[in-house]
Amino acid sequence: MTRLAIPLVILGTALLSAQQTTPPALVTTQEIAEGLPRDGSRWITFGGSYTNQRHSPLTQITPANVKGLVPQWTFQTATLGNFETTPLLRDNILYVTGPQNVAWALDARTGRQIWRYRRELPPDLTACCGLVNRGFAMLGDKLFMVTLDAHLLALDMRTGNIVWDATLEQYKNGYAATIAPIVVKDKVIVGAAGGEFGIRGFIDAYEANTGKRAWRFYTIPAPGEPGNDTWAGDSWKTGGASVWVTGAYDPDLNLLYYGIGNPGPDYHSESRLGDNLYAASLVALDADTGKLRWHYQFTPHDVHDWDATEVPILADLTISGQPRKVLMFANRNGFYYTLDRTNGRIIMAKPFVQTTWAKEIGKDGRPMTEPGHTPDETGEITCPDITGGTNFWPPTFDPSTRTFFVNAREACMTFYSWKPDYKAGERFTGGAGQRYTSTTMPVYGALRAIDPTTGERKWEFKYLRPSTAGLLTTASGLIFSGDNDGYLLALDSRSGSLLWRYQMGANLHGTSAITYMIDGRQHVLVPAGTTLTAWALPQ
Amino acid sequence: MRTLRVAALWLVCAGAWTPAQTPTKNPLEGDQAAIRSGMGLFRARCADCHGMDAHGVRGPDITQVWASGRTDEGLFTTIKNGIAGTEMPPQPRLFDHETWQILAYLRTLAASSKPETPRGNAENGHKIYQANCVGCHRVNGAGGRLGPDLSRIGAARSREVLELRIRGGVEGFLPGYEPVTITPQSGAAVVGVKKNEDLFSVQIMDARERIQGYDKSSLKELQNNPRSAMPAFGSNRISESDLNDLIRYLQTLRGFDPSVVQ
Repeated sequence: MTRLAIPLVILGTALLSAQQTTPPALVTTQEIAEGLPRDGSRWITFGGSYTNQRHSPLTQITPANVKGLVPQWTFQTATLGNFETTPLLRDNILYVTGPQNVAWALDARTGRQIWRYRRELPPDLTACCGLVNRGFAMLGDKLFMVTLDAHLLALDMRTGNIVWDATLEQYKNGYAATIAPIVVKDKVIVGAAGGEFGIRGFIDAYEANTGKRAWRFYTIPAPGEPGNDTWAGDSWKTGGASVWVTGAYDPDLNLLYYGIGNPGPDYHSESRLGDNLYAASLVALDADTGKLRWHYQFTPHDVHDWDATEVPILADLTISGQPRKVLMFANRNGFYYTLDRTNGRIIMAKPFVQTTWAKEIGKDGRPMTEPGHTPDETGEITCPDITGGTNFWPPTFDPSTRTFFVNAREACMTFYSWKPDYKAGERFTGGAGQRYTSTTMPVYGALRAIDPTTGERKWEFKYLRPSTAGLLTTASGLIFSGDNDGYLLALDSRSGSLLWRYQMGANLHGTSAITYMIDGRQHVLVPAGTTLTAWALPQ
Repeated sequence: MRTLRVAALWLVCAGAWTPAQTPTKNPLEGDQAAIRSGMGLFRARCADCHGMDAHGVRGPDITQVWASGRTDEGLFTTIKNGIAGTEMPPQPRLFDHETWQILAYLRTLAASSKPETPRGNAENGHKIYQANCVGCHRVNGAGGRLGPDLSRIGAARSREVLELRIRGGVEGFLPGYEPVTITPQSGAAVVGVKKNEDLFSVQIMDARERIQGYDKSSLKELQNNPRSAMPAFGSNRISESDLNDLIRYLQTLRGFDPSVVQ
């Protein structure tokens, strides 16, 4: 006993002194607001910072030496399904969510697991489009993760144990959740998926400490509220307008910016005549109350399943000699937009892929639609296709060159529609699509560099097939991407020339690489398929 | 009540099928009324993911499920129970006869299910096959590899499609059989079929059936050939009568048969 007690006392003293010199500081709102620090010590929110720029200040890995990258370790999930997540890093520990609501804390030096969390999911889930999760948020000593059965969980960062469990909505009614939350002040901001199941979408804020709901913004207004008259009859009740991709936040304006999903049923126009606000829109909400400040609808009365669930990026730019607070948005409908984020007015909008449904945005901010693009039982051909000019995979912005980067898709589709019946919890889309190919409309993808002040393309890097990879840029002039054949790619972000590649064995579907420093070495962490691989230059 | 009566009447009309146990073969295959009902059900319940033509949109292409060896019984179970751990949902509210209707319709997207009167002489067809096709195609483990394996072709393709294909009326290639010519920086051009390709490399089977991958940067040229490696067999090469025999033989090929020793 005595023999044991002495080492324990020594160990306890050692631990105590270690804690005193490097205290396990709780994650603060200040840290989150600072975004990516120059020392590369953390990546603690979905887009790196509230702006979602995903632009790292790190410069150890450069266009000149990127060819020397070597793998440090690979982590295998041993689960069914693929990553769509953005891992978070703090204090040399990675916090990663995976498919099927499994999550891990990993030692960033070795990739070794510290803890694993697995949600017991009901067998009758209704989640559309992948049993996936897009990442954690963190504050204090808690991690926040949504679940496929439409809950929001707080986990203990040190153990992975549940601290609280809040129900967003009943999954049996078609609700699910896949979004990476963000933390703003003392609240956790999330949304619900289910746009193909006749839900009524919303954005929620929960108290980070207790899991108590602080406010809810319904993405479809109720009768008596402005915008409800944009839904014929009772169609607002089942109009979808889901929220499954993380928004941005401007601390100075105290505004949250979220892209809203498609109206439902997806394809059947007559089931929901009207503009269908706030589906396929960008909404700006007061972060304290959830009240709507302004909105901009990209695709009024969308009938092609063009969710506006792409990632918004914030930046301050000088345009025509004037400083402007802008929001940049490459939309599934094929248009790129630069909006004034103080009021939602368009500064610039232009197609970044082939669009046949509309060629330009009118002075009133509405797309000038072309005839013949409402799906019916005989089918109509529209570009872009259902997956869109781009989609939920994150774009990036390099402020030093004022360049917006996006993985774009060139594809068209035959869209069909018919009147659907609504049954709670069942699919409610009212149509279907069929891939369309012809020699005049080849299907391909491209990484495009866009000037957000003009919409002009600076360069492009073409892929054989459309890529669904997210992006990462660094201050050293690199951009990390992936193609749909499993290659991890590093390009010169100034010229678009390819510098390095590695075959990962799976594409970076919806995921982006992140980068950070470990023991003085810059690491690039890549989720691809069922693996997570860390890269660095040789020691 | 009315629904029940209609369903019962329908069952009587449908004939062979009884709900007591799952048949191994779709009792409604080729039934025109069932195919029409199945089309409506397919479009409402399946097409959103699998595409109007079942070639896949959000979900996978399912036009080749029989050709890949799945059975009616197995597909029935997949539709009813879904696939755990994926987005393919169970269909607890789908009646058994509706499931068979969906499969009857799906069959028409994979191959015609029109009832056909057998015609032609399979034995002679086999001889014609041996003379013209065996160099590139393989049946039950024997034959060439440059073209698709035909061991299941009778279950996968309709008579009309087979005829069109043999006569040269169908262009286009199955993935993995796109004709290609590659020219190395030094050495002779190599003709083959493309097995895979990405931005940086291409994988082929050459005319000698050697499989090999090439780094694109090491090639002088990579030429995708516009026409299929499968020649058109006009009536000057295969008469109408011989074509009937050949197709009759191909229709007997409904799955790898281990008892056949070539």
